[in-house]
Amino acid sequence: MIELDKVTLKYGEKEILKQVSLTVRDNTIKAILGPSGVGKSTILKLMLGLIKPNSGRVLIDGADITRMKESELYTIRRKMGMVFQGNALFDSMTISQNLGFFLRENLNLPENEVIRRVTEQIQFAGLEGYENQLPESLSGGMRKRVAIGRAMIFKPHMILFDEPTAGLDPVSSKKILSLISTLRHNNNLGAVIVTHIIEDVFNVADCVAVLYQGEIIFDDVTEKLHNAEHPFIRSILSDKILEL
Amino acid sequence: MPVNAIRSLEKKVALQLKDFFFTMQEFFLFSVRAFASIPKLKRYWRDFLDQATICGTDSIPIVLVSSISIGALLAIEVGNLLEDFGAKTMLGRSTALSIIRELGPMLMGLMLSARFGSRNGAELGAMQISEQIDALRAFGTDPVAKLVMPRLVAALIMFLPLTALSDFAGLQSAAYMAEHYHRIDPGIFWNAVYPRLVAKDFVVGFLKAPVFAVIITLVSSFNGFSARGGTSGVGRSTIKGIVVSSGLVLIANFYVSKIVLENM
Ligand SMILES: Nc1ncnc2c1ncn2[C@@H]1O[C@H](COP(=O)(O)OP(=O)(O)OP(=O)(O)O)[C@@H](O)[C@H]1O
Ligand SMILES: [Mg+2]
Repeated sequence: MIELDKVTLKYGEKEILKQVSLTVRDNTIKAILGPSGVGKSTILKLMLGLIKPNSGRVLIDGADITRMKESELYTIRRKMGMVFQGNALFDSMTISQNLGFFLRENLNLPENEVIRRVTEQIQFAGLEGYENQLPESLSGGMRKRVAIGRAMIFKPHMILFDEPTAGLDPVSSKKILSLISTLRHNNNLGAVIVTHIIEDVFNVADCVAVLYQGEIIFDDVTEKLHNAEHPFIRSILSDKILEL
Repeated sequence: MPVNAIRSLEKKVALQLKDFFFTMQEFFLFSVRAFASIPKLKRYWRDFLDQATICGTDSIPIVLVSSISIGALLAIEVGNLLEDFGAKTMLGRSTALSIIRELGPMLMGLMLSARFGSRNGAELGAMQISEQIDALRAFGTDPVAKLVMPRLVAALIMFLPLTALSDFAGLQSAAYMAEHYHRIDPGIFWNAVYPRLVAKDFVVGFLKAPVFAVIITLVSSFNGFSARGGTSGVGRSTIKGIVVSSGLVLIANFYVSKIVLENM
């Protein structure tokens, strides 16, 4: 379980998040919906302890990570996988090297176990035949699937997705969403999906929080979003696209 | 209102000072982390070997070009000067001292800060803005140990033979010029070089190599890690890395010479 407790975050003088409280339960998919630049990526980075809040607490399975040292955080982070907005694949490594990298780095597994797990992720992500390619030679959708495969590599129980469908064509984006649903059903995973695309929310999320101007203006099960009264939510429901 | 103008200036300066000290503190912690992760060298052996090739073997041409040209120039200019005093036989000694103590290491430092420093800055900056460094941290790998420490150790080790090479090439080209331009017998030239060199001369020259290695690697890597704001951000941080590390190389060059020469 991930909890944000009255988290405030500033970049310089600019207050990005104002006393944001948010809970993500295990085995549920929670979407965080918000316009571009509102601080969605920032929230995910806070959840991983990549950045520290100015005030408030971030709890992972009850442990406050805001006071932890980087070395203590490493073990916590392995419970979670992260799919970065721009994938953040290592561009000088092949697909299978990208997938195997952190296994070799951080777990003392025998090499055949590493290869077994990498092959498993390659099959899961539908990347057979591309094992020895570099990320740059793959399409956007495939790269995203590599990033998802990498996020799964430690068998986490929570995955954080930063705009998993942004910039993808409709077909690839459908593929990614169905991949996320499969993950959920096969592995009992929880997930946080940050997005500015409202269809994604209705497609995969059990519940949704809407972030607007640094505050959570809605936080409930997805179906109730239709009944929300906040003018911003009304406007995105009618337009379906989030404009700033 | 002038009072308001002064107030806002005051605030701006205070903010910049705060920023500066904050950056210094970050840099200090970054450096400590880089040195503290040296025990993990075995794990990142491959990265170390790659970096050793990049900053060592691949830098040989540029180091040779700069040291050969400066050696030749020095021999010509100093030779002309000494001729006026009728002291041409001293050419070997004066060029040797300048090359081994000052110009050899300094030029090598500047060349490497341009070559190795820019590469570090651009590479790490690109990794930073494409979130690859965040990805390392997110999956439990210390990016300083993986990316900076191998560069630091490689530079610490490789800068020494590069200095030796730079000195050697500079002296050879000076000797060549002495013989063919000033018509000084090689025996006379070398006789003014080797027998007169003392330990102090080498200490000055070779102490500079590790000092420059630390400056160049840490400054350029730190700037790469601090890159923000897209491709132009990478450009900015790379430039900043090179400018700052070149400046610090020049300053360190002076102080190492001063301290060693005064104390030995
Ligand atoms: N390191 C930083 N320093 C200063 N400001 C930052 C930094 N990182 C992000 N910001 C600013 O904080 C705000 C929130 O950034 P964030 O990346 O979290 O937004 P986002 O909701 O993910 O937007 P996007 O749709 O662009 O991905 C933005 O206005 C951004 O300019
Ligand atoms: Mg974002």
